[in-house]
Amino acid sequence: MTKKTKIIAGIAAGALLLAGAGLAIAQSAGLVSAALADGSVGEQADGYLGIKGSASADLHAEVDAINIKRRAAYTQRAAQKGATVKEVAAAVGCETLATRVANGRAYLLPDGVWRVKGAAPISLPAYCAG
Amino acid sequence: MILTAMRSGGYAGAMKQLAILFSAASIAVCGGCVQVQAPDKPIEINLNVNIRQEVVYSLKQDANDLIKDNPELFPK
Repeated sequence: MTKKTKIIAGIAAGALLLAGAGLAIAQSAGLVSAALADGSVGEQADGYLGIKGSASADLHAEVDAINIKRRAAYTQRAAQKGATVKEVAAAVGCETLATRVANGRAYLLPDGVWRVKGAAPISLPAYCAG
Repeated sequence: MILTAMRSGGYAGAMKQLAILFSAASIAVCGGCVQVQAPDKPIEINLNVNIRQEVVYSLKQDANDLIKDNPELFPK
């Protein structure tokens, strides 16, 4: 192997590694998207994602990872606004339930009951209304 | 006369009478008292602050921005 081919091989291996990492990220995002689509994961009124019933360890890990990042974002915004994390999270929950849950997808209200979005808009918690 | 009365257990008798008088008085006083009993269960104070409606509503725009700024956290 010449020096040149070694370098080319190294670059190729690096590219492969990057592609693999990209694929892993896309796959995990796909895991949650697929779970949202089949109703095993849904948005909760408290501003976090929730799992309806049981789920694979991979899906659990992915949902947890998203919720941890969400909490970090809520915490940052709460500090800026002088509100509590819970209030920011609830405000986001109001928005996700009002605008981001598609028909046929699962959602959780504060009463702890999972429902499936039908044609009618979700009856939001009282604190969502201004 | 006084001296003999004292000597024949008069002092102890007087104390006894006094004690009876006091206990009778205390029963009479407590008849009109409101008796407060300590609860047998621990007192619980709920410190959970309810979600404030006006605050949540004022955060509506922030919530929308937050969702838009972090699309990876809000998969469709």
